[in-house]
Amino acid sequence: MFSNIFQGFATVMSAGPLLGIVLGVCVGIVFGAIPGISAIMAIAIILPLTFYVDPIVGITMLLAVYKAGIYGGSISAILINTPGAAASFLTSLDGHALARSGKAGKALCMSLYASVTGEVLATLVLIFVAAPISLISLQAGPIEKVWLLVFAFTVVGSMTGESVPRGLLSCCVGMMFAMVGMSSLTGAVRLTFGIPDLISGFTFLPVLIGVLVMPEVIDAVRRRKAPHQDLVLKVSDDPADSRVSLREYRSVLGTIIKSSGIGTVIGALPGLGSSAAAFLAYGEAKRSSKNPEEFGKGSLHGIAAAESSNNAVCGSSMIPMLTLSIPGDDVTALLMGAFLIHGITPGPTIFYEHTDVIYAIFAGFLLVDLFLLVIARFGFPLWMRVASVPPYFIFPCVTVFAVVGAFTANQSLSDVMILMVFTLLGYGMRLVGLNPAAFIIGFILMPLLEQNLDQAVSIVGGDYLRMLASPIGWIFIGLSVLSVVSAIRSNRRGRRKAAALAAAE
Amino acid sequence: MTLLKLIAAGSTALTMLAAPALAEYPEKPIKVIVPWGAGGDSDLTTRVWADAMEEVLGVPVAVINKVGGTGVVGTTEVANAKPDGYTLLNAGLSNVLVTPNFAQVPYDFDSFTPVVKLSSVPLGLLVRADSPYQDFAGFVAGTKEQTVTQGSWGAASSGTILASIIADQAGYQVNYVHANTTAESMVSLIGGHIDSAVSFPPAFDPHLKSGAARLLAVNTASDAYPDVPSFADLGITGDFEGWSGIFAPKDVPQEVVDTLIEASTKAMQDPKVIEAFANMGATVDYRHGQDWIDDMRQTYGIMTDAAAKMSN
Repeated sequence: MFSNIFQGFATVMSAGPLLGIVLGVCVGIVFGAIPGISAIMAIAIILPLTFYVDPIVGITMLLAVYKAGIYGGSISAILINTPGAAASFLTSLDGHALARSGKAGKALCMSLYASVTGEVLATLVLIFVAAPISLISLQAGPIEKVWLLVFAFTVVGSMTGESVPRGLLSCCVGMMFAMVGMSSLTGAVRLTFGIPDLISGFTFLPVLIGVLVMPEVIDAVRRRKAPHQDLVLKVSDDPADSRVSLREYRSVLGTIIKSSGIGTVIGALPGLGSSAAAFLAYGEAKRSSKNPEEFGKGSLHGIAAAESSNNAVCGSSMIPMLTLSIPGDDVTALLMGAFLIHGITPGPTIFYEHTDVIYAIFAGFLLVDLFLLVIARFGFPLWMRVASVPPYFIFPCVTVFAVVGAFTANQSLSDVMILMVFTLLGYGMRLVGLNPAAFIIGFILMPLLEQNLDQAVSIVGGDYLRMLASPIGWIFIGLSVLSVVSAIRSNRRGRRKAAALAAAE
Repeated sequence: MTLLKLIAAGSTALTMLAAPALAEYPEKPIKVIVPWGAGGDSDLTTRVWADAMEEVLGVPVAVINKVGGTGVVGTTEVANAKPDGYTLLNAGLSNVLVTPNFAQVPYDFDSFTPVVKLSSVPLGLLVRADSPYQDFAGFVAGTKEQTVTQGSWGAASSGTILASIIADQAGYQVNYVHANTTAESMVSLIGGHIDSAVSFPPAFDPHLKSGAARLLAVNTASDAYPDVPSFADLGITGDFEGWSGIFAPKDVPQEVVDTLIEASTKAMQDPKVIEAFANMGATVDYRHGQDWIDDMRQTYGIMTDAAAKMSN
């Protein structure tokens, strides 16, 4: 196997594949960083170009776009509090908080190192233990996924901020909005109030931008008259604030490894995606942290957890695709298309039939990580300049990107309307103290839960007790209970601490 | 050279909206709505076709996935689109023939102008390799003894309808489990979560090759599946194939349809297209014109009868 990989490196170390990787990384970072343009759109645009080049060049390039795109989302999340990709919205919580205190460089570094570490770990898993992992992931069917999603929902408990009831309410509102549209089980149309554009439900991207990003813009406009300093991102003069020291990296390494593990597992299960991985990893990092109150206020652990897990998904989502020819999400489905078009049929035999190509592609995956690290690192001064541009330039640009992004995803004006409606909704939520992050979690997880529940119910027929017959299911039931209990405990502890502080004063 | 081509092609893709105004169709980018997820078989064939069309027509042909409601969402959008030839639909058996008969949707067969048929794939009935059902007769016998689950993709999808026509004729009943796509349905089959599945070659071929699944019957017996009987061999009548083609909204000017047919005919002769289709396990089944439309109308009638029978 090692000789295969070295041979793979030898194949990839030539002009064509290297150019493809560099190009892919650059395109990915830029597309990922622009809010509203997602990695999948970049891949869909580039896909036809790869039909005409060697599969090694084409596929490593697509993967470079994918990985760099997921990473790129964190740049705008940190600098302008606008997640460029859905999976990086948790990064914006801590990353932007750090940037506000002048430590944008530190946040960028942390996110890059965590992303690359997560990717490398997941890629190593892909290379060395793909086959056994894929067999385990097959064991998780609709019933097991229902329980996994129930567990994912419990993470909301640790994301709610100060008020648990408000957090849960926000999550429920998000779930409700996710139910609009046609049920794939029965074909029944729900909650559309006769508006045909809503048959497909609310498009995800405009909702995300509307709820999370645009209220920020409105807020900035409102504060304009007040002589507020925090509108301009200052950059600290202390060089220690613009990098991550070895010691800091080592202190978050545990979080990174754990989160990469979570990302790898979620990625290997078809159909869940990088956002779900980021929630679970962030929730777990916060639950097990000694200082959970720092999360959301600029915790390096928060950035590390969110970024390493969502990037780990990139590598491990290849596992079911390559070994079982089962694409887990739309990106891997497109990549699988690229394999098929080049005459390589993914499946258990791929490692014997196309040994040269596969190991060259694996080597390419690792090189992508290296190039991402280098290219993104050199880009920092440029991104930092963007951050120091006065907000009266940035916010109009954000607005334009948001509207264009909402439009381009489906080339539909109704998505722009959705953006506007959800902007108002998001701003309203802010005013009444509802939690936008919990809203988005509900919105993302609900369709997954519904679909798996539909299937699980068909599978068990009338015998609902069979929902409880799965051992893997019980693992997730146990984790859910643990998660709820620890959320209640840490909430109580936090309150006691606050009471103690108040008493001390 | 390749790089230059890449950059050139990339910039055309990015400046899609900047085409100059000309009087003749097509003068601006054409969008093709695929009502299924990216990476499915109809999506892939459409992307290959669109790419070749781009070269012939000289305007960008953008493939857009509008997923939801077993294909109804994207299909409805095209049915309601302006009939100017700039919004086309990748449609198949499921969206234009099956769904209008079996579900309340705001369109029917006459809401569209058929343009060309691109490819077809035979439906197959599969079980896991370690399943006790060795052949179709064994499967039918098994369904009488216990509840058997069958994977498909949506209540009003072609898979479920064709499967239930087969089940009806062979006299058995199964519990359908609806995944998002046929690929997801195969995951559940291979993972042991469901007992059987209906699917098409692009999704099931890899699993046959690896020995994880067994094909019990398929629409057309072929060399690709030696020893597998066709449904006709088993005494089941009907055409159980999935196909994929290009449709426009109704009332599209005839010259637009002609332009598209002419360009398609050229595109489908491109050896690269033929090779890409073959690699994806889709058989090129290129048709257009009245014959094809009449055939479809006949199948539409069969579906209407089946729907009436099922609701009784």
